[in-house]
Amino acid sequence: MTQSTPLGNLARPLALTAIALAVSAQAQAVSFEDMLNDHLATDQVVTNGMGLHGQRFSPLTTLNTDNVHQLRPVWAFSFGGEKQRGQESQPLVKDGVMYVTGSYSRMWAVDAYTGEQIWQYEARLPDGIMPCCDVINRGAAIYGDKVYFGTLDARLVALDRETGRVQWIKRVADYEAGHAITAAPIIIDGKLITGVAGGEFGVVGTVFAFDAETGDELWTRPVVEGHMGYVFENGEAVENGITGGEAGLSWPGDMWQQGGGAPWLGGFYDADTHSLLIGTGNPAPWNSHLRPGDNLYTSSRLAIDPDDGTIKWHFQATPNDGWDYDGVNEVISFDYEENGSLVKAAATADRNGFFYVLDRENGEFIRGFPFADKITWADGLDENGRPIFNPAGRPGNPADSEGERGESVGAYPAFLGAKNWNPMAYSQDTGLFYIPSNEWMMDIWNEPVSYRKGAAFLGAGFTIRPTNDDYIGVLRAVDPRTGEEVWRHENRAPLWGGVMATAGNLVFTGTPEGYLKAFDATTGEELWGFNTGSGVVATPITWEMDGEQYVSVASGWGGAVPLWGGEVAEVIKDFNQGGMLWTFKLPSEYAQQ
Amino acid sequence: MWKRTLILLLLMLFQAPAWGEGLAPQVLRVAVAEVVESNPSAELFRRPALRNLDEVMASGYINIGLYEDFPPYSYIDDTGGPRGIDVEIGRAIADGLGLEFRPFWIKPGSSLGRDLGNNVSRGHYLRPTQVADVMLRVPYDKNFSYLRDSTGEYINKSVVMFGPYQREEWGIAYDAGQLDGEATLGSFRHQRIGAEYDTLPATYLTAVMGGQLRDNVRHYRNVGDAFAAMARGEVAGVMAIRGELEHYLAHHPAHDFRLAEPLLPGISRQQWDIGMAVRHNHRQLGYAVEAIVDRAVRDGSLDDIFQAHALEYRMPDFYAEVLGPAE
Repeated sequence: MTQSTPLGNLARPLALTAIALAVSAQAQAVSFEDMLNDHLATDQVVTNGMGLHGQRFSPLTTLNTDNVHQLRPVWAFSFGGEKQRGQESQPLVKDGVMYVTGSYSRMWAVDAYTGEQIWQYEARLPDGIMPCCDVINRGAAIYGDKVYFGTLDARLVALDRETGRVQWIKRVADYEAGHAITAAPIIIDGKLITGVAGGEFGVVGTVFAFDAETGDELWTRPVVEGHMGYVFENGEAVENGITGGEAGLSWPGDMWQQGGGAPWLGGFYDADTHSLLIGTGNPAPWNSHLRPGDNLYTSSRLAIDPDDGTIKWHFQATPNDGWDYDGVNEVISFDYEENGSLVKAAATADRNGFFYVLDRENGEFIRGFPFADKITWADGLDENGRPIFNPAGRPGNPADSEGERGESVGAYPAFLGAKNWNPMAYSQDTGLFYIPSNEWMMDIWNEPVSYRKGAAFLGAGFTIRPTNDDYIGVLRAVDPRTGEEVWRHENRAPLWGGVMATAGNLVFTGTPEGYLKAFDATTGEELWGFNTGSGVVATPITWEMDGEQYVSVASGWGGAVPLWGGEVAEVIKDFNQGGMLWTFKLPSEYAQQ
Repeated sequence: MWKRTLILLLLMLFQAPAWGEGLAPQVLRVAVAEVVESNPSAELFRRPALRNLDEVMASGYINIGLYEDFPPYSYIDDTGGPRGIDVEIGRAIADGLGLEFRPFWIKPGSSLGRDLGNNVSRGHYLRPTQVADVMLRVPYDKNFSYLRDSTGEYINKSVVMFGPYQREEWGIAYDAGQLDGEATLGSFRHQRIGAEYDTLPATYLTAVMGGQLRDNVRHYRNVGDAFAAMARGEVAGVMAIRGELEHYLAHHPAHDFRLAEPLLPGISRQQWDIGMAVRHNHRQLGYAVEAIVDRAVRDGSLDDIFQAHALEYRMPDFYAEVLGPAE
């Protein structure tokens, strides 16, 4: 019974393995140039979005419709511990090392060939965090010799790529006020830019930029009208203009001071116009009758100058949002030809059920059309892209209820959106957007018997219901020039994972039932599927190593649907949680030329 | 044999560098608890530490669920200690059972139903092992207790709400230095009025009288901030629950702040009762707690607690019927 012997035998090999692996990775510094070319490079994935514009389109053709049935798992990596819940992360790959984040603000570096862990980082989360929508994380950023991610207590963490050691930690917002960071931050020319999620009523959504090397704050930009933006010069905050010019133009009373509008999903970058394209959340409070006006810039898309945070243009999808149709969904830059000229466009599929094509140089509306089967809150869009409201589709004012349960309003789509956070993909080959969408609605009623913090309250009751008996999720291939739905694939459970397209005429996405699936990008035919053992609500990537094409995706059921999905519970209640990173490849012997 | 296993576990946890720092202590605690104490560990199974009356009594302490940062009912005072009317009621409950009083601080969620789920019946999904044994300041309203969903199920069936101990109501405090005569709702067509964000007054004031007051409503993080604003002359009135109004009136003796008795037309609920909640299968614990609080209502010691906090005690309807109208 001696204490030293087992220690020496057991612990040392573990330590040596970790060190050896870390040293063997020959990491090259990642430059902004690498990121700008990420959508063209086949041997790396160094941006969230597989390209700074977020198209999620790989030029690789090694894996294609003819051979995808030979795609097979080569390794799986467990996130370990008791901590499972939703895994919504997109991995990054550089120099044979994969960087992936997981639930509860964890991150790993993994050997991309073998799946062996190189290091793990686990944020020390305080007790009081109150994330609205599960303990998820959506991915990391990589730059120079560091990797970065945001945590549930609203901090940014910079880690050494090779060792996982902390380089700096920056508090971005107050977690005690309900703030969290769940989105992948973006790096634009050395600036690390993030939004913040959540926040109680009384909070103003803000975009923050930091020096990626040092963590020093560079600028802030509130997204609600009337608030001052700042740039920091030598540590001093210098005023840089009021968002929207002045307060009170589109808000009554002092309500702009609270505002909401959290840009919780982060943004993408358009190099042509040097713009950060980012969406903003819904206004506060929820009851739209209290804040007549457009409530700028909530439920909007913004083009922001990444150098100083100035807003270049805005497009508001849902003015005076009364349905919780956050406008945070990704804005993807793409070019197309029309009448012989090149259109520099940007597209976004909103939670409100409409697909918008904008001119990304000035934010002007080019066209819009519904991509959801049924929309009741608006009858359509006018020539400027503004919704033509249907007054009967707006939830009533709880203050008008006469002590009885108010009449229920059925609104299509539900507040979780015709499409939520999970990113769509754009194929440069087919010219189609592949939208992971859902067909569900919500009942909303005024709730006269409700209480909050020991006091009577006037709340709204709401519940989500599937629109159809046999499916909720719909993967759609949509032509942005015509609005035509070229094909659709229906799924029983709601789709909550991101989509990827490839030049091999393939489209990949995951399902809560556990499958990673591949479809023919042209026809929608389902060509391949693999059950990962838990729901796939993350976004796949693909890259090439030693001439072989790989595909990776995180698996682990969770996110907002189990927490807020109402009657959707009937469909999803038996899904098990997980926490695995699955990697597949097409062995070279099956690759056809 | 088990000892060797334990030591091995301990040593691995302390030495293995690749393991997460945050993970190790938790695993260690579980391992130690499993091997040394052989107790089933709630931590391991990630289940709430749901304790019935016998388990609470055997443990020597009781977790009393209190809203955090909520003067005059429950908050941390300048000395860092728990303070407030509900804190005193919690102490009385613990004393009455011969137990140590342990405050269980609750961050209010978007609704009472969520608070009950996160802190009494189920535990928050991030902290499933942490729940209060009994929660205070839970409105006592049969309509709420027996609320049904669209399928006919009782929505709040996993908790029992019992033991009404206070009547609460909405009120308005005003600055007599700014207003001529007693404040009415109409006063705030021309003067500003403060309210806490995301409360019934915030909704009510922006909607009542066809929205005529809307532009004069100023929103604050809490009622304390609203009173500070009234002291600066930023608003001439504050609408809040009576308990908060009386508390902050007492804290601004230098100003001529007064309580109004305004008519609040169309307000959905002007008065309601405050009670407690336990998990539905801990009724026995509820009876024991109820007996103590009931005694405090009847013998006047609850009245003393309210007076000591500069509040007027208002008895719930339930007692008004049993004991007759208060003098």
